[in-house]
Amino acid sequence: MRLVKAILLRLLFGAFSLFFISFVTFVAGAFAPGDPATIIGGEKASQETIRVIRHNLGLDQPWPQRYVLYVEHAAHGDFGVSYYGTHEPVKDILARTVPMTVKLATQAMVLASAFGIVFGTLAAVYQRKFADKSILTLSTLGVTTPNFVLGPILVYIFCQRLDRLPLTWSTTLVAPEIVYFILPVTILAARPAALITRLTRASMIDTLDQEFIRTAVAKGVPRGRLLFRHALRNAILPVITTIGTSFGFLLTGSFVIERYFLMPGLGSAVIEGIQQTNMPVVQAGVFVTGAMFIFLNLVVDILLPVLDPRIRESQI
Amino acid sequence: MSERTRFTFRGKDPLYVFGIVFLVLLLLFAVFGPSARNAMVHPPNQANFFSVYDPVSGPHEAPGGKYLLGTDEQGRDVISRLAAGARISLIVGFVVEILALVVGVTVGVLAVYAPRWVSMVLMRFTDGMFAFPDILLAVLIIGTIPPTKMANLPMGKLLPVIIALSVTAWPSVARLVKAQVATLKDREFVIGAKASGASTFYIVTRHILPQLTGILLAVSMIDIAGTILAESTLSFLGIGVQAPEPSWGSMINSAREDMSSYPVGLVWPCLILSLTIFALNFVGDGLRAAVDPKNK
Repeated sequence: MRLVKAILLRLLFGAFSLFFISFVTFVAGAFAPGDPATIIGGEKASQETIRVIRHNLGLDQPWPQRYVLYVEHAAHGDFGVSYYGTHEPVKDILARTVPMTVKLATQAMVLASAFGIVFGTLAAVYQRKFADKSILTLSTLGVTTPNFVLGPILVYIFCQRLDRLPLTWSTTLVAPEIVYFILPVTILAARPAALITRLTRASMIDTLDQEFIRTAVAKGVPRGRLLFRHALRNAILPVITTIGTSFGFLLTGSFVIERYFLMPGLGSAVIEGIQQTNMPVVQAGVFVTGAMFIFLNLVVDILLPVLDPRIRESQI
Repeated sequence: MSERTRFTFRGKDPLYVFGIVFLVLLLLFAVFGPSARNAMVHPPNQANFFSVYDPVSGPHEAPGGKYLLGTDEQGRDVISRLAAGARISLIVGFVVEILALVVGVTVGVLAVYAPRWVSMVLMRFTDGMFAFPDILLAVLIIGTIPPTKMANLPMGKLLPVIIALSVTAWPSVARLVKAQVATLKDREFVIGAKASGASTFYIVTRHILPQLTGILLAVSMIDIAGTILAESTLSFLGIGVQAPEPSWGSMINSAREDMSSYPVGLVWPCLILSLTIFALNFVGDGLRAAVDPKNK
């Protein structure tokens, strides 16, 4: 019963976070420069047209009503229309750009987790040996090197010196899609991979020190089984939490990567939106990114007691 | 607890020493670089298309000779721009950190000592701020503040970035301070002070906050690194410090645009930015180890 209560509490917190970001994006929209009605109606629109547009957008209502309206529309995926060009609905822009960003972030997360867990375990097993020291040094570099510094270095090596990988995304792909994702995903994954490596190492070292491991060794459990079934299953729990929080970094990091490789993702759309003061796109982009982050962390937090009987029992 | 933490070089990690030395040099570079003779002769924002034009590498002049580190794609002196960029990065880093500390410490202390409903509201608000990953909130705020409105104020070109990054920086300080104050609150010396009739304000400012200076100093170094990185990221994306003011991030962005003809141009801004981030992190880690009671 306590477990259900804990999960409900967590869901409530997720809902609160969602409310918070919706409120902040709403306030940002209200403060943003430019009157939406005038921008949509155009410079030449008559007073009457503008009043009609204002009414249709609900801008003539007091702000609590406008907020409720905003949330209601957002719940239906409706974030208004882009201020410029063909006044494309923001919903369509999201449908066009979000998959690219999610694909980038997910692939980077898979790569970072696989790399981090494997090398973190290796470093822990060979503690204070050469392998451990080189992995630690590399991960320190990985945590502190900005991705827009790592980007040019890898692009210079693989695109310009070796000429093996495409420099930027293009509308007509001449190679399988995965080829275009190799560099962006690698660059994006570098920092989370380094973080996860360090955390796995620390967590593994702690676990390997514990008595049940000594018992297992004494019982003659084979080394592979000892590491993966006994130690790693225990050590991996804090790592899973970090994977959740790293996802936020991956989403904002993909803003940089998309711009760098000219990939048409959510980040490109948001940055372009800021440069054109196209607030609905910025609002929607920030809202959707924040919502994805909240959702993933919610899943991780609910998953943990499912995976770990100790957490489960402490809550029952 | 009354003894003060001492910061010395003795027996210190070489990386920590490197960090300190690098930061001192960087500070000198940022303070004196922009007013040095070189920056007077070659101002950081002065484009120069005619002094040299190589059909292959464009208006770039190679390092050495008249320009110590060469020129960028508009023929501007790179070392002058690096110095001006260092000043901008450090100003943004320090101003944001000071604002974040003021707000964070206030919220953190109030979350412990204020009436329950006030602290509830403050802490839920702080929690809410963590719903925005990384620099996402800063991106939103910059989208909301029109840069043209601020252009006439002092530091107008930096103000949107400073505001945006301060808003994203304070919640982690508030969380840390709240946790620390909550544990210190029940310690004997605080109870003793209370028993002898000291006011809450006196206890907080004279007994509790002085205990936090060490850890806050250590965390500040790492936060400043984060802020400088965030400022560079925003400038790299073209929404940070407004052109033509040089920021390391925008320098990296313009250098990578003609990376194929002039790859050396990327080296300088990338190098100084990475080293700064390394140095601040090393110093932060070193200070944290020094104030960690486990190491005493």
